[in-house]
Amino acid sequence: MEEEEVPKQQYSDTEKQSIFNGEFMPHINSMYNFAYRLTLDPDDAKDLLQDTYLKAYRFIDSFQRGTNAKAWLFRILKNSFINDYRKRSKEPSKVDYQEVESYYNSEEVDRQITPDLRVEALKDMIGDEISNALNSLDVDFRTVIILCDLEGFKYDEMAKILDIPIGTVRSRLHRARNLLKEKLSTYAKQMGYKNA
Amino acid sequence: MNSPDQSHMKQDCPNKRECLELLQSILDGEATPEQKDHFLKSHLDECMPCYKNYHLEVAIRQLLKTKCCGGEAPQDLVDSIKSKVIQNLTH
Repeated sequence: MEEEEVPKQQYSDTEKQSIFNGEFMPHINSMYNFAYRLTLDPDDAKDLLQDTYLKAYRFIDSFQRGTNAKAWLFRILKNSFINDYRKRSKEPSKVDYQEVESYYNSEEVDRQITPDLRVEALKDMIGDEISNALNSLDVDFRTVIILCDLEGFKYDEMAKILDIPIGTVRSRLHRARNLLKEKLSTYAKQMGYKNA
Repeated sequence: MNSPDQSHMKQDCPNKRECLELLQSILDGEATPEQKDHFLKSHLDECMPCYKNYHLEVAIRQLLKTKCCGGEAPQDLVDSIKSKVIQNLTH
């Protein structure tokens, strides 16, 4: 577990149970969704979720009661995913995000990339298009969309969950959203929208 | 937001990228009230690409929210987690 801070408190068993039930368990559905979107495998998702909650309990003394439990839990889950589940064999040579991000920050690439997508096409996507489009993104890109758009985390919370600077949160979100639009644009074309 | 008068709107935005980033910040709740105010009340009325982007960004977020949220952890998993924690407690 990566928490470097020395636990500031030592909860009694009753307190632990109260925190666990009252502050951790309420987020289990969101956490499950996140686990599933990360692993894209229902069995891995279950294992990841269970591992995360057990870790959360084990390290409950590092959690300060009344602070943002959801963000704390999501951080544990994300770290567990990276350490234990991220299938390294599926990734090509490790992507240097700094490099990728500075390339994609150039105006030139944006002009080429910003897709032509229409709201009408989106309104017709009543199936799994958006879900599939999201899943098709590289895990780090779909993570920021999940945290921001699905779970409502703020940029500073995301920075802490992901251990990246806020500037990187912004630029990664920007890039991820463009990629998502590209994918949706592809679906729209398949659905017959000519200039979508 | 009023339906804009399209004949008076610019068809090209010179700051397309900055505007898109600002738009996303606004929708993410991370922009200042001044930025939000100016962008939503003035800029969108005069800039067609940004107007379109605004609607697109809103539509995508709606789609994400309605289609990608709301799943539930399987009950047997929830029960299993709870019982494992209780086991730990009663050591």
